[in-house]
Amino acid sequence: MAYNVLIVDDSATMRALIRKVLVISGFDIGEYFEGANGREALGVLEQNWVDIILSDVHMPEMDGAALVRSLKEHEMWRHIPVVLITTESRPEVINPFLNLGVHDYIQKPFRPETIKKKLTGILGEAITPDASETESCDF
Amino acid sequence: MLAKLKAVTFEVLETMYYLFPETLEEGEVVPAKGPFLRSWVTIAGPQSIRIGLQVPQSLARKMAANFLGTEEAGISKPEMEDILKETTNMMAGAFLSKMEASGALKLQTPEAQWLADADKNKKPLANRLRFDVDDELLELFVEKG
Repeated sequence: MAYNVLIVDDSATMRALIRKVLVISGFDIGEYFEGANGREALGVLEQNWVDIILSDVHMPEMDGAALVRSLKEHEMWRHIPVVLITTESRPEVINPFLNLGVHDYIQKPFRPETIKKKLTGILGEAITPDASETESCDF
Repeated sequence: MLAKLKAVTFEVLETMYYLFPETLEEGEVVPAKGPFLRSWVTIAGPQSIRIGLQVPQSLARKMAANFLGTEEAGISKPEMEDILKETTNMMAGAFLSKMEASGALKLQTPEAQWLADADKNKKPLANRLRFDVDDELLELFVEKG
């Protein structure tokens, strides 16, 4: 199954790298979108269906935290998994994002297999119906 | 501190660039011809420090080409700057994580500057480690922020 991916990073070089790493990893990309900050990412979401968002933390205009807050306030976008791409793994930096509802983070430097494993795991969880929901369905 | 920085330098260069640095001992020389690209990031806090890298343009180009998976000939100066800033940023972030540094220490936005041979000698690096990376010189430095 191919997934539509949105990469949000103010560095065009970094966006190109993440895309390259995704391709190398063998992750099945459907459509690929990108934005230089949170505002551009929201613009992409208004026009396109996205399965997963990979976002930087520090960006001008609208940073990663503001983007996540906006997503969580939106009926259609609140369930899209967000993965932070960050240089830091200190709890002081990561925990506020996890509390906002970010699914996971990937620390730079990263290997292609790390990205694939994380994304596949998250999307597997995202598309697997919750057990309680399954039981309540009346087919 | 320098030992941890050395470890993160190896980790970043190997993981992101498939480059394998060797530490240069005192007196060992690797010829390096300018211009040079210097990048640094400030770790702001009670005692701010600046961590940085300096490489000749030829190595900056090679790093960018490896990073982006393209030919060296097609690499622009802004791309080299972006790559070295990102490298410095990754090193500083990994360093803070390895040090289990407190939240009072904040990474600032990385910066970069081109230096001609003459400028480089006017601004020598104080606390530094030198590496041989594919027969090119890479210098890592730490200074007060």
